[in-house]
Amino acid sequence: MTVAIRFARSLFDRIRADLSRPHPFAAERIGFAYGDLVDAGTRLILMTAYEPVGDDDYIDDPMCGARIDSQAIRTAMQGVLNRRQGAFHVHMHRWPGQPFLSKTDAAEIPDIVTGLRRVGTTFANGILLLHDIECAGWVWLPGAESPVEADSVSVVGFPFHISRRVQE
Amino acid sequence: MTSDRFSRQSFLGENSQPSIEQAVIGVVGLGGGGGHIVQQSAHVGFLHYRLFDRDSADTSNLNRLVTATEADAEAETLKTELARRRILSIRSEATVDVFPCRWQDNPENLRGCDVVVGCVDGFAERRELEIACRRYLIPLIDIGMDVHIVGDEPPRMGGQVILSMPGALCMTCLGFLNEASLAREANRYGDAGPRPQVVWPNGVLASTAVGLVVDLVTDWTRSMRGPVYLMYDGNSHTVTPHPRLVYHDGSPCTHFPVHQVGRPVFTNL
Repeated sequence: MTVAIRFARSLFDRIRADLSRPHPFAAERIGFAYGDLVDAGTRLILMTAYEPVGDDDYIDDPMCGARIDSQAIRTAMQGVLNRRQGAFHVHMHRWPGQPFLSKTDAAEIPDIVTGLRRVGTTFANGILLLHDIECAGWVWLPGAESPVEADSVSVVGFPFHISRRVQE
Repeated sequence: MTSDRFSRQSFLGENSQPSIEQAVIGVVGLGGGGGHIVQQSAHVGFLHYRLFDRDSADTSNLNRLVTATEADAEAETLKTELARRRILSIRSEATVDVFPCRWQDNPENLRGCDVVVGCVDGFAERRELEIACRRYLIPLIDIGMDVHIVGDEPPRMGGQVILSMPGALCMTCLGFLNEASLAREANRYGDAGPRPQVVWPNGVLASTAVGLVVDLVTDWTRSMRGPVYLMYDGNSHTVTPHPRLVYHDGSPCTHFPVHQVGRPVFTNL
């Protein structure tokens, strides 16, 4: 089984630009990208929209890069309901090398995805991590108990780029 | 072994060969153009193929179909099988999924491709393929040729290589597809007999297309940052950028809004 995620270049660049904006106190920014699982067979997810977390929906926590409040999560859940699409928590790291979730990310973001899945049981939801030109995705498919790492995340446009899952 | 095999193309970049080997390339139409595409793609090192063509080889293909032999024409072997055989003879470890049907009958497998090369006959077929590729965010490289006879002049051979990238100019924006050409096709396609096709323009166009595919997946030239519309003149044996691109005013594609991706659905107004 392969899982592929695709963005139009314009959407991807808008997300990068948004996540690059400074926040009054948070070191990183967070947003939610929305997309459709096109085929259960091919497991292709096409991202179509993005909503940033509002400036006021961050919690000042110097122990991590960024922490969002319950209002931000409720807004994303409402986005799933309104759009009838899955939602992906998106943030960006500026570390060298391949993108990977930090310990804090791995411990806390899945709980946010659990909320998204409760309102979007038939959609694919998950986490996207941007990193320089690369991007990695972890996808909870409908009904699945655990996530799978996307085999590829494509940014379609000029320049065209495919990030591949690093084979272990 | 692998490093020796691709050492002559190492200039493509350190990570280029893995990028080539992981890409899923779709080829629609495995005749004169598509045969060259799969053969060259296998030489370059592509490992994952999804091939669509419902036709079988026949004697009239032998003037150009590089994957076929006289025995294949005699046996009326499916073109998908000819393509698979050629790919595996060059890269035995390749995964070649073949669909001896119209791509429209098996669209799920087209959607999973990273890049599609369209080697189809006719404008209507091109438009359908472009619509599908735009819907599912797949770069489409279209190739084709035709021969026209005007008065007493020698036959004019022309062709095109177009990169239709979702979010950028489409084949209608570029003026290649329009209502007039579609209507004209409905009446007649070409003037020099049924579907004029010869091997050398197929080779030129297919080689150019493979070059674009390699550039897309490796970005080795770091210059592919806009639409590609190349014009082939078979009489002067040249490939040049189409003047349409030079005079384009920079306005975006209005035919395929980039947010309109995925399966068409009804939405609440």
